Amino acid sequence: MSAPDTGGDSYTESQVIMSTVKIVTPFVLTYGLFVTFHGADTPGGGFQGGAIIGVVILMLAFAFGIEPTRDWLANSTVIGLIAGGVVAFAGIGVATMLLGGAFLEYRLLPIPDPVRYGMEGIEILGVAAIVSGTVIGLFFVTAAGFTAETTARPERSRVGTSEGDQPRIRGDTDTEGDD
Amino acid sequence: MTPLEATLIAFVLVTAVATALFRDVLSAIIVFGAYSLGMAIIYTLLLAPDVAMTEAAISAGVTTILLLLTIAKTVRPPTDELFESVNVPALIAVGAFALVLGAAVLPEIPAVGDPDAIAWANPEVTGYYLQNTYADTGVQNSVAAVLAAYRGFDTFGEAVVVFGAAVAVLLVLHREVFA
Repeated sequence: MSAPDTGGDSYTESQVIMSTVKIVTPFVLTYGLFVTFHGADTPGGGFQGGAIIGVVILMLAFAFGIEPTRDWLANSTVIGLIAGGVVAFAGIGVATMLLGGAFLEYRLLPIPDPVRYGMEGIEILGVAAIVSGTVIGLFFVTAAGFTAETTARPERSRVGTSEGDQPRIRGDTDTEGDD
Repeated sequence: MTPLEATLIAFVLVTAVATALFRDVLSAIIVFGAYSLGMAIIYTLLLAPDVAMTEAAISAGVTTILLLLTIAKTVRPPTDELFESVNVPALIAVGAFALVLGAAVLPEIPAVGDPDAIAWANPEVTGYYLQNTYADTGVQNSVAAVLAAYRGFDTFGEAVVVFGAAVAVLLVLHREVFA
Protein backbone atom coordinates (compact mmCIF):
# COMPACT_ATOMS: atom_id res chain seq x y z
CA MET A 1 0.00 0.00 0.00
CA SER A 2 2.47 2.62 -1.15
CA ALA A 3 0.66 4.73 -3.69
CA PRO A 4 -2.49 6.47 -2.50
CA ASP A 5 -5.58 4.85 -3.87
CA THR A 6 -7.53 6.83 -6.39
CA GLY A 7 -10.69 4.78 -6.12
CA GLY A 8 -10.00 2.99 -9.39
CA ASP A 9 -8.56 -0.46 -9.90
CA SER A 10 -5.80 -0.51 -7.30
CA TYR A 11 -4.17 -3.69 -8.62
CA THR A 12 -0.40 -3.65 -8.94
CA GLU A 13 1.41 -6.67 -10.34
CA SER A 14 3.87 -7.67 -7.66
CA GLN A 15 6.25 -10.55 -8.31
CA VAL A 16 6.67 -11.12 -4.58
CA ILE A 17 2.96 -11.46 -3.88
CA MET A 18 2.39 -13.63 -6.96
CA SER A 19 5.20 -16.03 -6.06
CA THR A 20 4.10 -16.23 -2.45
CA VAL A 21 0.48 -16.91 -3.35
CA LYS A 22 1.49 -19.54 -5.90
CA ILE A 23 3.40 -21.40 -3.20
CA VAL A 24 1.02 -20.91 -0.28
CA THR A 25 -2.37 -21.38 -1.95
CA PRO A 26 -2.30 -25.20 -2.32
CA PHE A 27 -1.47 -25.58 1.35
CA VAL A 28 -4.18 -23.17 2.45
CA LEU A 29 -6.74 -24.96 0.28
CA THR A 30 -5.64 -28.31 1.70
CA TYR A 31 -5.91 -26.99 5.23
CA GLY A 32 -9.37 -25.59 4.55
CA LEU A 33 -10.52 -28.92 3.18
CA PHE A 34 -8.97 -30.72 6.16
CA VAL A 35 -10.75 -28.45 8.64
CA THR A 36 -14.00 -29.00 6.76
CA PHE A 37 -13.79 -32.76 6.32
CA HIS A 38 -12.21 -33.50 9.70
CA GLY A 39 -14.33 -31.13 11.75
CA ALA A 40 -16.29 -33.92 13.38
CA ASP A 41 -13.29 -35.26 15.26
CA THR A 42 -10.97 -32.26 15.53
CA PRO A 43 -11.64 -28.55 16.07
CA GLY A 44 -13.17 -26.86 13.11
CA GLY A 45 -16.07 -27.71 10.89
CA GLY A 46 -18.00 -26.48 7.94
CA PHE A 47 -18.09 -22.81 8.93
CA GLN A 48 -14.38 -22.40 9.60
CA GLY A 49 -13.32 -24.60 6.70
CA GLY A 50 -15.63 -22.80 4.30
CA ALA A 51 -14.17 -19.46 5.33
CA ILE A 52 -10.62 -20.72 4.72
CA ILE A 53 -11.58 -22.14 1.31
CA GLY A 54 -13.15 -18.82 0.40
CA VAL A 55 -10.00 -16.96 1.44
CA VAL A 56 -8.03 -19.00 -1.13
CA ILE A 57 -9.98 -17.27 -3.91
CA LEU A 58 -9.41 -13.90 -2.21
CA MET A 59 -5.65 -14.53 -2.13
CA LEU A 60 -5.64 -15.43 -5.82
CA ALA A 61 -7.57 -12.28 -6.61
CA PHE A 62 -5.14 -10.13 -4.64
CA ALA A 63 -2.17 -11.65 -6.43
CA PHE A 64 -3.43 -11.89 -10.01
CA GLY A 65 -6.05 -9.16 -10.17
CA ILE A 66 -9.69 -9.12 -9.21
CA GLU A 67 -11.10 -8.81 -12.73
CA PRO A 68 -9.27 -11.88 -14.14
CA THR A 69 -10.34 -13.87 -11.10
CA ARG A 70 -13.93 -12.83 -11.62
CA ASP A 71 -13.77 -13.85 -15.27
CA TRP A 72 -12.19 -17.18 -14.32
CA LEU A 73 -14.70 -18.02 -11.58
CA ALA A 74 -18.13 -17.89 -13.16
CA ASN A 75 -20.75 -15.99 -11.22
CA SER A 76 -23.04 -18.99 -11.46
CA THR A 77 -20.46 -20.95 -9.45
CA VAL A 78 -20.70 -18.55 -6.52
CA ILE A 79 -24.48 -18.43 -6.58
CA GLY A 80 -24.57 -22.19 -7.05
CA LEU A 81 -22.42 -22.67 -3.95
CA ILE A 82 -24.64 -20.46 -1.81
CA ALA A 83 -28.00 -21.72 -3.02
CA GLY A 84 -26.81 -25.30 -3.45
CA GLY A 85 -25.61 -25.37 0.14
CA VAL A 86 -29.03 -24.41 1.45
CA VAL A 87 -30.69 -26.94 -0.85
CA ALA A 88 -28.29 -29.72 0.22
CA PHE A 89 -28.78 -28.98 3.92
CA ALA A 90 -32.55 -28.84 3.60
CA GLY A 91 -32.50 -31.88 1.31
CA ILE A 92 -30.80 -34.09 3.88
CA GLY A 93 -33.27 -32.88 6.50
CA VAL A 94 -36.29 -33.48 4.32
CA ALA A 95 -34.93 -36.87 3.19
CA THR A 96 -35.01 -38.16 6.76
CA MET A 97 -38.55 -36.84 7.07
CA LEU A 98 -39.56 -38.70 3.91
CA LEU A 99 -38.00 -41.82 5.41
CA GLY A 100 -40.46 -41.50 8.27
CA GLY A 101 -38.44 -39.68 10.90
CA ALA A 102 -37.90 -36.16 12.13
CA PHE A 103 -35.94 -33.35 10.47
CA LEU A 104 -32.25 -34.40 10.35
CA GLU A 105 -32.83 -37.75 12.07
CA TYR A 106 -29.68 -39.16 10.55
CA ARG A 107 -29.97 -42.73 11.75
CA LEU A 108 -32.63 -43.41 9.10
CA LEU A 109 -30.36 -42.61 6.16
CA PRO A 110 -29.63 -45.67 4.01
CA ILE A 111 -25.84 -45.30 4.19
CA PRO A 112 -23.21 -46.99 6.37
CA ASP A 113 -22.56 -45.16 9.65
CA PRO A 114 -25.51 -42.84 8.92
CA VAL A 115 -25.28 -40.45 11.90
CA ARG A 116 -21.63 -39.65 11.31
CA TYR A 117 -21.87 -39.22 7.56
CA GLY A 118 -25.15 -37.35 7.79
CA MET A 119 -23.45 -34.81 10.02
CA GLU A 120 -20.46 -34.65 7.67
CA GLY A 121 -22.92 -34.18 4.81
CA ILE A 122 -24.59 -31.09 6.23
CA GLU A 123 -21.25 -29.66 7.37
CA ILE A 124 -19.51 -30.16 4.02
CA LEU A 125 -22.27 -29.91 1.42
CA GLY A 126 -24.32 -27.39 3.37
CA VAL A 127 -22.51 -25.04 5.74
CA ALA A 128 -19.08 -25.04 4.07
CA ALA A 129 -20.58 -24.37 0.64
CA ILE A 130 -22.77 -21.52 1.92
CA VAL A 131 -19.96 -19.82 3.85
CA SER A 132 -17.31 -20.12 1.14
CA GLY A 133 -19.72 -18.86 -1.51
CA THR A 134 -20.80 -15.94 0.66
CA VAL A 135 -17.21 -14.92 1.40
CA ILE A 136 -16.29 -15.00 -2.30
CA GLY A 137 -19.47 -13.22 -3.31
CA LEU A 138 -19.12 -10.42 -0.76
CA PHE A 139 -15.52 -9.95 -1.89
CA PHE A 140 -16.52 -9.58 -5.54
CA VAL A 141 -19.41 -7.26 -4.74
CA THR A 142 -17.20 -5.05 -2.58
CA ALA A 143 -14.44 -5.03 -5.18
CA ALA A 144 -16.86 -4.05 -7.93
CA GLY A 145 -17.62 -0.84 -6.08
CA PHE A 146 -20.85 1.02 -5.90
CA THR A 147 -21.63 3.93 -8.15
CA ALA A 148 -24.85 5.52 -9.31
CA GLU A 149 -24.50 4.03 -12.81
CA THR A 150 -24.16 0.44 -11.65
CA THR A 151 -27.29 0.70 -9.59
CA ALA A 152 -29.58 2.57 -11.96
CA ARG A 153 -33.08 1.63 -11.03
CA PRO A 154 -35.29 0.27 -13.74
CA GLU A 155 -37.92 2.70 -14.96
CA ARG A 156 -41.08 2.30 -13.00
CA SER A 157 -44.51 3.72 -13.21
CA ARG A 158 -44.46 6.63 -10.88
CA VAL A 159 -47.48 6.24 -8.67
CA GLY A 160 -48.10 8.55 -5.80
CA THR A 161 -45.04 10.71 -6.33
CA SER A 162 -46.80 13.67 -4.84
CA GLU A 163 -49.47 13.69 -2.23
CA GLY A 164 -53.02 14.26 -3.40
CA ASP A 165 -52.09 13.09 -6.86
CA GLN A 166 -54.89 11.54 -8.81
CA PRO A 167 -54.04 8.09 -10.04
CA ARG A 168 -53.27 8.41 -13.72
CA ILE A 169 -55.52 6.55 -16.05
CA ARG A 170 -53.10 6.51 -18.96
CA GLY A 171 -50.57 4.36 -17.14
CA ASP A 172 -46.97 5.46 -16.85
CA THR A 173 -46.62 8.20 -19.39
CA ASP A 174 -43.50 10.13 -18.67
CA THR A 175 -44.89 13.48 -19.78
CA GLU A 176 -44.94 15.98 -17.00
CA GLY A 177 -46.95 19.12 -16.49
CA ASP A 178 -50.03 18.45 -18.61
CA ASP A 179 -52.51 19.50 -15.97
CA MET B 1 -3.13 -15.94 35.34
CA THR B 2 0.04 -16.85 33.52
CA PRO B 3 2.35 -14.17 32.06
CA LEU B 4 1.22 -15.22 28.57
CA GLU B 5 -2.43 -14.61 29.41
CA ALA B 6 -1.65 -11.27 31.04
CA THR B 7 0.35 -10.18 28.01
CA LEU B 8 -2.43 -11.21 25.64
CA ILE B 9 -5.11 -9.39 27.62
CA ALA B 10 -2.99 -6.25 27.71
CA PHE B 11 -2.37 -6.59 23.96
CA VAL B 12 -6.07 -6.94 23.22
CA LEU B 13 -6.94 -3.94 25.38
CA VAL B 14 -4.25 -1.78 23.77
CA THR B 15 -5.24 -2.73 20.23
CA ALA B 16 -8.93 -2.14 20.97
CA VAL B 17 -8.24 1.36 22.31
CA ALA B 18 -5.88 2.06 19.41
CA THR B 19 -8.57 1.00 16.92
CA ALA B 20 -10.87 3.60 18.42
CA LEU B 21 -8.22 6.31 18.63
CA PHE B 22 -6.29 6.06 15.35
CA ARG B 23 -7.28 8.82 12.98
CA ASP B 24 -6.00 7.12 9.85
CA VAL B 25 -8.49 4.53 8.60
CA LEU B 26 -5.84 2.16 7.28
CA SER B 27 -4.00 2.12 10.61
CA ALA B 28 -7.26 1.43 12.44
CA ILE B 29 -8.03 -1.52 10.14
CA ILE B 30 -4.59 -3.06 10.62
CA VAL B 31 -4.75 -2.68 14.39
CA PHE B 32 -8.24 -4.17 14.35
CA GLY B 33 -6.86 -7.22 12.56
CA ALA B 34 -4.19 -7.54 15.25
CA TYR B 35 -6.92 -7.31 17.90
CA SER B 36 -8.80 -10.18 16.28
CA LEU B 37 -5.65 -12.27 16.21
CA GLY B 38 -5.09 -11.66 19.92
CA MET B 39 -8.69 -12.64 20.66
CA ALA B 40 -8.22 -15.85 18.66
CA ILE B 41 -5.21 -16.80 20.79
CA ILE B 42 -7.15 -16.01 23.97
CA TYR B 43 -9.97 -18.30 22.84
CA THR B 44 -7.40 -21.02 22.25
CA LEU B 45 -6.06 -20.60 25.78
CA LEU B 46 -9.63 -20.79 27.08
CA LEU B 47 -9.89 -24.24 25.42
CA ALA B 48 -12.38 -23.11 22.76
CA PRO B 49 -10.52 -24.01 19.56
CA ASP B 50 -13.62 -23.96 17.35
CA VAL B 51 -14.38 -20.37 18.35
CA ALA B 52 -10.71 -19.46 17.94
CA MET B 53 -10.64 -20.77 14.37
CA THR B 54 -13.77 -18.83 13.51
CA GLU B 55 -12.32 -15.65 14.99
CA ALA B 56 -9.05 -16.08 13.10
CA ALA B 57 -10.65 -16.96 9.76
CA ILE B 58 -13.60 -14.58 9.70
CA SER B 59 -12.56 -11.66 11.88
CA ALA B 60 -8.81 -11.45 11.34
CA GLY B 61 -8.97 -12.62 7.73
CA VAL B 62 -12.14 -11.91 5.79
CA THR B 63 -13.25 -8.81 7.71
CA THR B 64 -9.85 -7.16 7.34
CA ILE B 65 -9.81 -7.87 3.60
CA LEU B 66 -13.32 -6.50 3.10
CA LEU B 67 -12.51 -3.35 5.09
CA LEU B 68 -9.30 -2.81 3.08
CA LEU B 69 -11.26 -3.22 -0.15
CA THR B 70 -13.79 -0.71 1.11
CA ILE B 71 -11.23 2.01 1.69
CA ALA B 72 -9.60 1.15 -1.64
CA LYS B 73 -12.96 1.75 -3.31
CA THR B 74 -13.91 4.87 -1.36
CA VAL B 75 -11.72 7.65 0.00
CA ARG B 76 -9.02 7.62 2.61
CA PRO B 77 -9.02 11.13 4.00
CA PRO B 78 -5.48 12.43 4.55
CA THR B 79 -4.67 13.29 8.12
CA ASP B 80 -1.82 15.11 9.81
CA GLU B 81 -2.65 13.93 13.33
CA LEU B 82 -1.97 10.42 14.52
CA PHE B 83 -4.86 10.12 16.97
CA GLU B 84 -8.39 11.38 17.16
CA SER B 85 -8.92 14.32 19.47
CA VAL B 86 -10.38 12.97 22.67
CA ASN B 87 -13.48 14.50 24.19
CA VAL B 88 -12.44 14.66 27.86
CA PRO B 89 -15.90 14.80 29.54
CA ALA B 90 -17.10 11.91 27.41
CA LEU B 91 -13.93 9.99 28.21
CA ILE B 92 -14.47 10.53 31.93
CA ALA B 93 -18.10 9.43 31.70
CA VAL B 94 -17.35 6.33 29.66
CA GLY B 95 -14.34 5.49 31.83
CA ALA B 96 -16.38 5.74 35.01
CA PHE B 97 -19.09 3.58 33.46
CA ALA B 98 -16.54 0.96 32.42
CA LEU B 99 -14.94 1.02 35.88
CA VAL B 100 -18.26 0.52 37.68
CA LEU B 101 -19.27 -2.21 35.24
CA GLY B 102 -15.92 -3.93 35.57
CA ALA B 103 -15.92 -3.73 39.36
CA ALA B 104 -19.42 -5.20 39.42
CA VAL B 105 -18.98 -7.92 36.82
CA LEU B 106 -15.37 -9.11 36.90
CA PRO B 107 -15.38 -10.59 40.43
CA GLU B 108 -18.52 -12.55 39.53
CA ILE B 109 -16.97 -14.30 36.52
CA PRO B 110 -15.97 -17.83 37.52
CA ALA B 111 -12.40 -18.98 37.01
CA VAL B 112 -11.55 -21.10 33.99
CA GLY B 113 -12.35 -24.72 34.81
CA ASP B 114 -14.25 -23.84 37.98
CA PRO B 115 -16.55 -26.80 38.79
CA ASP B 116 -19.10 -24.39 40.29
CA ALA B 117 -19.26 -22.26 37.16
CA ILE B 118 -22.65 -21.13 35.93
CA ALA B 119 -22.28 -23.27 32.81
CA TRP B 120 -22.81 -26.23 35.12
CA ALA B 121 -26.01 -24.78 36.54
CA ASN B 122 -27.78 -27.36 34.39
CA PRO B 123 -25.35 -30.27 34.80
CA GLU B 124 -27.70 -32.92 33.49
CA VAL B 125 -27.85 -31.25 30.05
CA THR B 126 -24.18 -30.33 29.71
CA GLY B 127 -23.05 -33.61 31.19
CA TYR B 128 -25.38 -35.53 28.89
CA TYR B 129 -23.74 -34.03 25.80
CA LEU B 130 -20.22 -34.64 27.07
CA GLN B 131 -20.90 -38.21 28.13
CA ASN B 132 -23.09 -39.44 25.30
CA THR B 133 -21.74 -37.66 22.22
CA TYR B 134 -19.54 -40.51 21.09
CA ALA B 135 -22.11 -43.20 21.84
CA ASP B 136 -24.92 -41.33 20.09
CA THR B 137 -23.17 -39.97 17.03
CA GLY B 138 -19.77 -41.63 16.70
CA VAL B 139 -17.89 -38.34 16.39
CA GLN B 140 -15.33 -37.11 18.88
CA ASN B 141 -15.89 -33.36 18.69
CA SER B 142 -18.71 -32.56 21.11
CA VAL B 143 -19.12 -29.08 19.64
CA ALA B 144 -19.68 -30.49 16.17
CA ALA B 145 -22.09 -33.05 17.55
CA VAL B 146 -24.18 -30.41 19.34
CA LEU B 147 -24.17 -28.19 16.24
CA ALA B 148 -24.94 -30.79 13.62
CA ALA B 149 -26.86 -33.49 15.46
CA TYR B 150 -28.43 -32.40 18.76
CA ARG B 151 -29.17 -28.88 17.54
CA GLY B 152 -29.27 -29.51 13.80
CA PHE B 153 -32.41 -27.48 13.23
CA ASP B 154 -30.84 -24.39 14.84
CA THR B 155 -27.79 -24.84 12.62
CA PHE B 156 -30.06 -25.00 9.59
CA GLY B 157 -31.49 -21.65 10.62
CA GLU B 158 -27.99 -20.18 11.01
CA ALA B 159 -26.96 -21.45 7.59
CA VAL B 160 -30.03 -19.85 6.04
CA VAL B 161 -29.15 -16.60 7.82
CA VAL B 162 -25.77 -16.55 6.04
CA PHE B 163 -27.57 -17.26 2.76
CA GLY B 164 -29.97 -14.44 3.54
CA ALA B 165 -27.08 -12.07 4.20
CA ALA B 166 -25.67 -12.75 0.73
CA VAL B 167 -29.10 -12.19 -0.82
CA ALA B 168 -29.62 -9.01 1.18
CA VAL B 169 -26.33 -7.53 -0.06
CA LEU B 170 -27.40 -8.11 -3.67
CA LEU B 171 -30.81 -6.65 -2.92
CA VAL B 172 -29.41 -3.47 -1.36
CA LEU B 173 -27.00 -2.97 -4.26
CA HIS B 174 -29.68 -3.59 -6.92
CA ARG B 175 -27.61 -6.34 -8.46
CA GLU B 176 -28.42 -9.77 -9.72
CA VAL B 177 -24.87 -11.11 -9.89
CA PHE B 178 -21.85 -11.04 -7.58
CA ALA B 179 -19.92 -8.77 -9.91
